[in-house]
Amino acid sequence: MSHKNIPLPERQRLRQKMLKKHNLANILTHWFNVGSWLLLLPTGIAIISSPRLGITPIWWQEAFRNIFGSDANLIRFHYTIGFIWIFVILFNVLVGFRKYFLPFASHRMLLDRDDIQWMMTKPLQMMGFMKGKELPPQDAYNAGQKIYSYFVVICTIGIMVSGPVMVFKSLFPPIVKQIAQPIHFISVFVIVAWLFIHVYMGAIFPEEKEAFFSMFSGKVSAWYARAHHEKWYNEKLKEEVEWEDRVQQELLESPHLTEESSGPD
Amino acid sequence: MPTKNHYAFVIDVARCIDCRACLVACSVENNVPMDHTRIWVHDQQVQGEWPTLSHTFVPYNCMHCDTPPCTEVCVSGATYKDAVSGLVLVDQEACIGCGYCVEACPYGVRYIDQRRGVVDKCNACVQRLEVGLQPACVATCVGKARMFGDLNDPNSEVSVALRNAKTVTRLDYEKAGIDPDPNIYYLNLVETQSILSSDTFGQVPQAILPRDPHYTIAEEGWKKVAIPLLAAAMGATFLVQAFFFTKQLLEGEKEFEE
Repeated sequence: MSHKNIPLPERQRLRQKMLKKHNLANILTHWFNVGSWLLLLPTGIAIISSPRLGITPIWWQEAFRNIFGSDANLIRFHYTIGFIWIFVILFNVLVGFRKYFLPFASHRMLLDRDDIQWMMTKPLQMMGFMKGKELPPQDAYNAGQKIYSYFVVICTIGIMVSGPVMVFKSLFPPIVKQIAQPIHFISVFVIVAWLFIHVYMGAIFPEEKEAFFSMFSGKVSAWYARAHHEKWYNEKLKEEVEWEDRVQQELLESPHLTEESSGPD
Repeated sequence: MPTKNHYAFVIDVARCIDCRACLVACSVENNVPMDHTRIWVHDQQVQGEWPTLSHTFVPYNCMHCDTPPCTEVCVSGATYKDAVSGLVLVDQEACIGCGYCVEACPYGVRYIDQRRGVVDKCNACVQRLEVGLQPACVATCVGKARMFGDLNDPNSEVSVALRNAKTVTRLDYEKAGIDPDPNIYYLNLVETQSILSSDTFGQVPQAILPRDPHYTIAEEGWKKVAIPLLAAAMGATFLVQAFFFTKQLLEGEKEFEE
């Protein structure tokens, strides 16, 4: 959808008009998740001190062990925050299962044909090829965001299962605890690998500025929605038109209101 | 890594009569569960043909190696070589009992206490050392087969015993860059073998030799597959965002994209 032939007043109106993209529940869950990760990721990395794996620098291991007093205390802090994180995320998903989670999963996460086309074109465009080709319209989330969401869901489950296995150590046989460790590690760092892109696109990339502020206000401008998430924008327009029609119909059908509104004239 | 103290066990094989009082003393001192022990006496059985017979008992426990392969694999650092005493210890509050270290120990001196879900092993009775006592096994040994002390102190019992020894044997292991340098010194181990014939002089019984350290599939997969792949993935995504960020810095931000 080209914006080239939209007149100036209409452009200004679209910039002013705000559409609600995120509900408060999802915004709060997102920022709770961010806070938890900021606590869990550095402490988790600090725990891994095996010289054979050789991941964490010695100064990092020692700094965190000194902050918390001992190895065991560092681990206790990590899994205490971890359990709070698991509880809150699961609580939010389960309590809001029908109101928030199902609509989110069915309306915003499913991939369609346009998404697949987008996935084939966008990476090439980022590398400088096929600049002339127009991208297919996108939903509330584009195909890249949708695929990231699958990784996040699967890896979050991986973290939430493998973490407690290592905490409730007397309940599980050694082989399970052996496998739980790499699963925990892989799940975390698959998310972290995507996280570079996620944070950059969300918080720094200039074209997506509105996406960042929408994670606080929940709202994006109609102009941004039209340019980046056209399918979702059209849906919103349709909803708006339906609402207008409905209200008009109600006004017509209600004799009391028509009388009153015609009264003062 | 040189440590302040260099604690070592010196075990005189010729004096051991397989009474196993050390096992009992150890289990009582350290609350070891009934189905495990932290220390063992290896029974060589009767060897040779009459009248040249030999029956050797080899007491052993954690060798508190100089460069232990077990601490190399511990993910959280729950098992470590103490920087002061040089003993290889397990912090059971940090340990989750995954058993990476149990597989890696060439001497098989670690076991998993499934009831508590932790790894357990000889800690040379650090709780007794701190108050100036000998480890329980050493204190209880009737034949004085077991000795324990600081090798850094030239006048300690173990240093003197090693100086006066006829033969000293160490069950060392050296292969593929793994060289634990164990700290149990056996006295008279080769003599007991040499009774059989002159050919066996200097030979250590096969059964007590260290095995190859075994690395679990999970740990190997983690080290050799997961880490390289994820490092590559993270490097790639980091470079992508770094490229676009640099581009953004060079070109300046556009307020409106049109």
